Amino acid sequence: MKLCITSDGKDLDSSVEETFGRSPYFVIVDTETLETKSIRNTAMRSGHGAGIGAAQIISDEGAEALLTGIVGPNAFTALKAAHIKVFEGASEFDSIKVALEKFKKGFYKEATVPSGGPGGGRRFRGGRW
Amino acid sequence: MVDAGLKGRILAALHRKPLDIPIIAITGGKGGVGKSTISVNIAAALSEMGYRVALLDADVDAPDDHIMLGITLEKPLDVTVNVPTIDAGKCTGCRRCVDACRRNALFQPGDGVPILIGDCNGCEACMLACPEDAIRKERKRVGETYMSERDRLLLFTGRLMPGAEESSMVVNALRNRLHASGGGSDVVLVDTSPGIHCNVINALRGADAVYAVTEPTPLGAHDLERTLKLLLAIGLRARIILNFSDLPGPREKITVMAKAFDAEISCELPMDDLLLKSHVEGVPAIIMFPDAVNSTSMRRIAEDIAREYLQ
Repeated sequence: MKLCITSDGKDLDSSVEETFGRSPYFVIVDTETLETKSIRNTAMRSGHGAGIGAAQIISDEGAEALLTGIVGPNAFTALKAAHIKVFEGASEFDSIKVALEKFKKGFYKEATVPSGGPGGGRRFRGGRW
Repeated sequence: MVDAGLKGRILAALHRKPLDIPIIAITGGKGGVGKSTISVNIAAALSEMGYRVALLDADVDAPDDHIMLGITLEKPLDVTVNVPTIDAGKCTGCRRCVDACRRNALFQPGDGVPILIGDCNGCEACMLACPEDAIRKERKRVGETYMSERDRLLLFTGRLMPGAEESSMVVNALRNRLHASGGGSDVVLVDTSPGIHCNVINALRGADAVYAVTEPTPLGAHDLERTLKLLLAIGLRARIILNFSDLPGPREKITVMAKAFDAEISCELPMDDLLLKSHVEGVPAIIMFPDAVNSTSMRRIAEDIAREYLQ
């Protein structure tokens, strides 16, 4: 399965980014072959609809599942329309590698409803608190 | 950067006047400086002088002029914008609509036609981009306009639906309503929102004179500078009305700024409990307290407008 993990950098040692739409990078890992690819999130600085734009990017990349901190309602609707599974609860204190290990052990459960509010990423990126 | 030719065309469109009636705008960067109070009083004064006045309450986020005038809003009309619905039969999945959307409101799943998910503001770029004519327009209500009449005063009020973002669209609808129904007026007064956003710019379109209202406080000075910069950018000359003029604040900041922007301070209104009282009663001060100092000053502004534009 092609799993997309939100990331603050390009490789497996980067930290997980907890927001989806405003995540700087996406690391896409094939969970069988462990082949990885990273792409920049060009929707990150959108004035509106970063989550939907981000969903378009990972859908175009053929992602089948997403692992992140939280997903807002608009992005969630887009991801569902593209049949991309959503796993929430990843922590920024984990590297992509650690998050991937946890994922394989079934640490994260699939989200059936969105947990974040729209525009939530914009608040997040203002700074950690 | 915008090229010079385009900028010229934008400015020309901004100054176009569909009605041959003088338009006087009352604006200002800061909220609560008295734009609406001054607008309704000038409107009442001009109306008292026998002119037919159209007052546009273009502060569509918080329109209060009717409250200050004691007028009930009448003749509501919906303001709608067109949002896209995509005809699956005609759509070829070329994705031009998705790419055209600056708000990322449209999403195209790998195997299907684009769907509208995000917050569409009705700009219709997707409809222009679609080569297959596969996008139908569906209406979304974003606010209302009202037209209320009292003696020689015709009040046009715009009201944005709470939660909607399309304040500019409501201002445009208000202007269109003025153009359709305000033709019999002698003068148009426009009371704008605070700030320098596009709804303010739209409210200033076609203005012959602009009064920028402010107060001698650090906030008033800061926000006035932004208004003066906006007016300079769109080629409108400002006159300043200094409200609460006896506040012990940084007056000299305002005077220096007025000089720098070549804007005269055309009126000073000291703090006055009578204005507050007229607020509470919903009767303009110039009618309730005709002899008050500020009533005289505001009547003088109306006389200046009449002398300059209504002869």
